[in-house]
Amino acid sequence: MKKIINKPENYVNEMLEGLYIAHPDLITYAAEDLRCLVTANKKEGKVGIATGGGSGHLPLFLGYVGKGMLDGCSVGDVFQSPSAEQMLAVTKEIDSGAGVLYIYGNYNGDIFNFDMAAEMADFEENIRVESVVAGEDVASAGPASPGEKNTRRGVAGIIFVYKCAGAAADAMLDLEEVKRVAEKAAANVRTMGVALSPCIVPRVGKPGFEIAEDEMEIGMGIHGETGIRRGKLEPADQIVTEMMDKIVADIPYEKGDEVAVLVNGLGATPLDEQYIVTRRINQYLKEKGISVYRYYVGEYATAIEMAGFSISLLRLDEELKKYLDAPAQTPFFTQL
Amino acid sequence: MKVIYLVRLMKELKEIMEENRNYLIELDSVVGDGDLGLTMGDGFAAAYEAVKESNEADAGKLLYAAGKAMSIAVPSTMGTLMASGLMQAGKVLKGKTELEEADITALFAAYMEGVQNRGKAKIGEKTFLDGMNPAVMALGNAVREGKPLLEASREAEKASCEGFENTASMIAVHGRAATRGEMSRTLKDPGAAVAVLIMKALVKSFED
Repeated sequence: MKKIINKPENYVNEMLEGLYIAHPDLITYAAEDLRCLVTANKKEGKVGIATGGGSGHLPLFLGYVGKGMLDGCSVGDVFQSPSAEQMLAVTKEIDSGAGVLYIYGNYNGDIFNFDMAAEMADFEENIRVESVVAGEDVASAGPASPGEKNTRRGVAGIIFVYKCAGAAADAMLDLEEVKRVAEKAAANVRTMGVALSPCIVPRVGKPGFEIAEDEMEIGMGIHGETGIRRGKLEPADQIVTEMMDKIVADIPYEKGDEVAVLVNGLGATPLDEQYIVTRRINQYLKEKGISVYRYYVGEYATAIEMAGFSISLLRLDEELKKYLDAPAQTPFFTQL
Repeated sequence: MKVIYLVRLMKELKEIMEENRNYLIELDSVVGDGDLGLTMGDGFAAAYEAVKESNEADAGKLLYAAGKAMSIAVPSTMGTLMASGLMQAGKVLKGKTELEEADITALFAAYMEGVQNRGKAKIGEKTFLDGMNPAVMALGNAVREGKPLLEASREAEKASCEGFENTASMIAVHGRAATRGEMSRTLKDPGAAVAVLIMKALVKSFED
């Protein structure tokens, strides 16, 4: 393990200490617990939006707390859910009477804890809570049939859900409406990733799996979950085409659709390569007659030091465009 | 029985999870991410710590406090499920200051209900429930037949062992094991092993 850290067990808290030092105008914490991160600019009467999840994915999850997006985030150990108690502390802090919406990724540990927190908020604090679970990784499972549970993992596409729901809440929509916007964004986003190297959980100290020097794994998850296929590394254009074929066929995105594109580095892939990828995505979508309303390129949801990237597409209508365009300011996402 | 019996039960649970830390790690390393032994050891230790010096006269409140402490200490999938079980048992036994035989059955039925409500798994999907459900049924039957709790708990333990063995004929639907599909069939479920340990602790709590 080659990391710039002190003690592995202090990894999360020391990272948080640094964040609070760097962004005092945007974030602070509740319940005297560094891991109960909340906005420093609470807006009275607004629906509160909370997320949460394990560490190791910066800017996800906490990096989107600020103005115009999220109001709070409970922070777990690396790749571990925070506790329901921490989620409850965040919920209490960000509620101003209009209720709270939870938006989080589709992982059992997070689901169980957010459900427990929602029950506690209801029973113990009389706070109304609704939840939207994001699961858009097309490589992780097939689409859910009507009435069936979505088993897909939640990955980088959740940022679009945060952005649209955050803007809707900022426009002072009520809890039902903010939830509807979040669900609409979640229903219209799809993601797929590729990994070139594994990641190392600091307390474990070694990779949980290997990817050979000349190999890649298409469809790998952001904790190293098994993907669709392992194979020889190919040129960027070929990799993008394989991923786009799978993504575009899924909803499906059709000729005449308008989309936002998120190219996301997984931690160790340079921006140069991400823009090489962006170039091919643009060609691909042109060929399909799908127009791109907006590009986001950079690191949004990482897997510690994993090399690789993911592509997310959000299908837009006039309402989602409006919320996507709204201004926001957080430690990792600023849009004027 | 007095409510203080529950502190003894929590102590037996803590000790058995501690003793079987490595056993659970090994079982879980085959199908999951290997942290089950740590989660259960730390979780039941936190639950016991929360109630060991408690003067709480309400059985329900005591169990709820133990569950809540566990949920804070180990917010992993299995940690949260076990905490949900304790908290549900707490809700069902709320207001009880004396425990009858039937309350012990109710405690474990509620524990299982709490786990099932949280995890949304069904019987036969190769989970904790497949070790716990036969035990809860055996315990209930034995108590209804008027058997003393030590004997009833031994029957429950036996049933949970059989349930655990039977998970070797089930396909995993939940967690990382599910990604193996048919390949998961011959492996025994670590969650069901936890149910066996819970029943072993129950037997011990009635032994001198």
